[in-house]
Amino acid sequence: MHELLLFASVPTHQHHELLRQLAGLTAMQPHHRVERRLVFKAYRKPGVITTRVGASQDVQGADMQRLNKMLNGGMFYTQVVGPVSELAFGAKPSSSRNPDALMSGMGELPPSNENADNSYAYENQPWKLEFRDIPEAGTRSAVTSRLMASSTLPKGDIIESMNAWGYSFVTEYVVEGDIFIHNDIVIFLHRVLHYPTEGQEPNEPRRILPPFETMTPLERTGSYVLQAAITVQDGGNQEMMKTASQHLFGLREQLKSAVRLEQADRLSLDTRAK
Amino acid sequence: MSDSLSLPLRPLIEESDRPDALPVEIAQINAQWGAFRDVNEDSLRAQIEQEKYKDPYADDDDENDEDTSATDVDSAERLDLLYRRRAEITQFALQAHMEAMFALDFVSLLLSKQQPRQAETSMSAFLKQTAPLGSLDAEVVHPPPKPESAAVDTKTVSRGWRLQNFNAGANRLLDAATRLETEVASETRYWNEVLAVKEKGWKVCRLPRDRQALGVQYGFMEATPIFRDRGLAALRRADDGSLMLDKGLAPQRARMVRVRVKSCKGISGCSRVHPSSTNNAESIEDRIFQARDTLYEEELFHELFREARILGNQGVTTRQNLLQVPVSSGQEILLDLVDMDGDPTPDDPEIASTEDDTLANAISHSIHILLAYAHRQNLRRRTQPPPPLVPKRRHTPEYQLLRPVMAYLQHSSHVRWLESFLGDLHQVLKAAGLQFELNASPFSSLRLPTTPSIPAAEALVQTFLIPFESTFSCKLPSAQGSFKVRVRTSAMSPPLGTHFDISVNIPEYPDSQPPNRIGLQEEAAEVLTHFTMLDILSAIAHNSSPSAWTAVYPHHGELMAISPTGQNKKLQVTLSRHEISVRASSARGFEHPAEATDKKPVRSQTWKPNTPTESLSLMDFVAEISKDDS
Repeated sequence: MHELLLFASVPTHQHHELLRQLAGLTAMQPHHRVERRLVFKAYRKPGVITTRVGASQDVQGADMQRLNKMLNGGMFYTQVVGPVSELAFGAKPSSSRNPDALMSGMGELPPSNENADNSYAYENQPWKLEFRDIPEAGTRSAVTSRLMASSTLPKGDIIESMNAWGYSFVTEYVVEGDIFIHNDIVIFLHRVLHYPTEGQEPNEPRRILPPFETMTPLERTGSYVLQAAITVQDGGNQEMMKTASQHLFGLREQLKSAVRLEQADRLSLDTRAK
Repeated sequence: MSDSLSLPLRPLIEESDRPDALPVEIAQINAQWGAFRDVNEDSLRAQIEQEKYKDPYADDDDENDEDTSATDVDSAERLDLLYRRRAEITQFALQAHMEAMFALDFVSLLLSKQQPRQAETSMSAFLKQTAPLGSLDAEVVHPPPKPESAAVDTKTVSRGWRLQNFNAGANRLLDAATRLETEVASETRYWNEVLAVKEKGWKVCRLPRDRQALGVQYGFMEATPIFRDRGLAALRRADDGSLMLDKGLAPQRARMVRVRVKSCKGISGCSRVHPSSTNNAESIEDRIFQARDTLYEEELFHELFREARILGNQGVTTRQNLLQVPVSSGQEILLDLVDMDGDPTPDDPEIASTEDDTLANAISHSIHILLAYAHRQNLRRRTQPPPPLVPKRRHTPEYQLLRPVMAYLQHSSHVRWLESFLGDLHQVLKAAGLQFELNASPFSSLRLPTTPSIPAAEALVQTFLIPFESTFSCKLPSAQGSFKVRVRTSAMSPPLGTHFDISVNIPEYPDSQPPNRIGLQEEAAEVLTHFTMLDILSAIAHNSSPSAWTAVYPHHGELMAISPTGQNKKLQVTLSRHEISVRASSARGFEHPAEATDKKPVRSQTWKPNTPTESLSLMDFVAEISKDDS
């Protein structure tokens, strides 16, 4: 699958207004979304890959060649994305059903209710693996296009399975924003939040989320990024790619008076692990 | 307005007492009419009369005459006339050109004294040849001083001109003022009405194509694009400032989907035409409402039609403006789009009765609700992240409008039939003194929604979109036997239509099971009577003293009693929806039932419902026969 993108920077003071404009344009209410994003880095396992050099009689099948290329080619960072509720921040882990949790909560509420609304169960956190290639170079079109793939992962602790696949945990951050759907285009107005730094950065995903207020935006001014994305099933189909960029340009024209959507710098979206 | 300063626009005219001296007037009359001798009262009156009747717009009488005669001439003459006129025009133009050239030459020659080079460029060749440059000169001659009277004349004339211009200016200003005043009034009225529309909650916006005009949106965002785009009408201003709803080319008539129920006798029900509350008031909001309703109705009919086309396999037929939906034998539903103002009900000769009006109204309401539900589903689908772009366009599925209605009607008709059938059977068995317990739960699949994740209205509609199911459970005469019937109707997913799932539990005959899925009512009836009969046999076998009666051919309803004396007896039980009968005869041994028929029946009895109860119940009757035996 291919992804075509346009980006724009939205200063804080324009954020609310733009939300309303987008709601009017797309004729829908925004879907608020908070996502945990874990960054994993691929590493080469020693002794896994055995490539035969030479041996021209043994012509490798195209599949084999591709697999080898994938295994021996560049290594990439990938993201594991998990949607969370804003209420989960600063909540007690639901697994600890000790009296302390009850005491600290409102005394009148039944415990089950409190748990459902105001707790975070890391064991039930759904995850999705998102791979993004470095944007294609040398395209004449004025949109960013890159290869992408996503797949759902098992719930709960993800570290073990990721390690088994040859990925190591690097860091994590949170993305907070609103999603709009405009025909085929997904418009995501978001910003990146950092966890509060308390000494040592943990080397595994957090099981307890800190209060949302303590999260600090990556961009100090608190500005947002507007991302308009459209996915195309078959990136080799030039016609589809063209249609998709036409759609994005149409959106750019419609939003011209509000924000300036443009192509992102290719190297800033580099996902290769060096 | 009255407080503000008012400026006099017209010039003040001083009334001079006798402005013109008599000699001047005499001179004027002389100039205008000629000698005094020719002017008398009669000629003046005639002149006045003539002027009064003269057409102010006709320039000349002669021209009028010519015009009238021109109509008479035929085309050849007209062509000739046309050429002649054209020649005249050309001639005039040429002459004018020539005169202009003469004037140019003259001025050039005059100027050639002072500026020979410049003047030479505008001279004609002929002039250059005939007259040398600078041969004409002009010099200023001081005119003799004008007499006093001439100066006064000029002053008066200029004063008159100025007055006239002032007057004209004042008139124009006043005209403009009144025009602006009416304009302001009508604009105010227009904007007030627009504001009133907006305050009622309608969405007022600029038209996308015509940026100067305002529009009101009354359509449905989630409708099919052609209907969604039609949901916008311009709010135009009439000359008097009142608001006009300009729907473009869309028909102005109010239309609606009419539902009629047709039974074998003819039309037996028709849905009510929603009375538009204010037919004649025609306020702008009513018109918007009417436009919206019509749009909704048209979309509804469009979608019904679209759905009907895929329902051809279920007997739905489409005509140009009519949908025919069969629901049960002898009942058909007709749907068409009719004008609302045309009063369709009374003069329709086909209408036989109005007994099914409620049904027609219910169907009409259901399809409206289902379309609204489809709109909500569209919104839901639209706001989900879209799938990746593929070359094949996504097909919008047909809305479920007719199918749930058809399924419901079909199901209820089958359930009602089954209820009446089982009721009849119950009556028959009761008359025979057998126990039979019926437990019916029609529409058991419908239960009120409890899931809080989706709005209650949507959840309520959703329960009607899943296949309908009703269950009937019966306890049969022998206390152990029972059967259970599940009636299931689905119009959405195959297997389409209604089918009966019958599960029977008769311990005596565990191997006898009905077919899995029964589609026909007759077949279901046969199966149910058969198994009830089997159960009655087992009940007889149980109730009688041990080893008295055994069911030899249970599926033929035959029982045999073997007595040690050799006098065997045979009992034949027949059960139908209307009666149950028992026939007893004697038999010598295990014989083929066909051979046994020639025996004279010993006794026989028939029980029917609604007949005075016999003295004996079936069990007693059997017991009596058993006694005869010994």
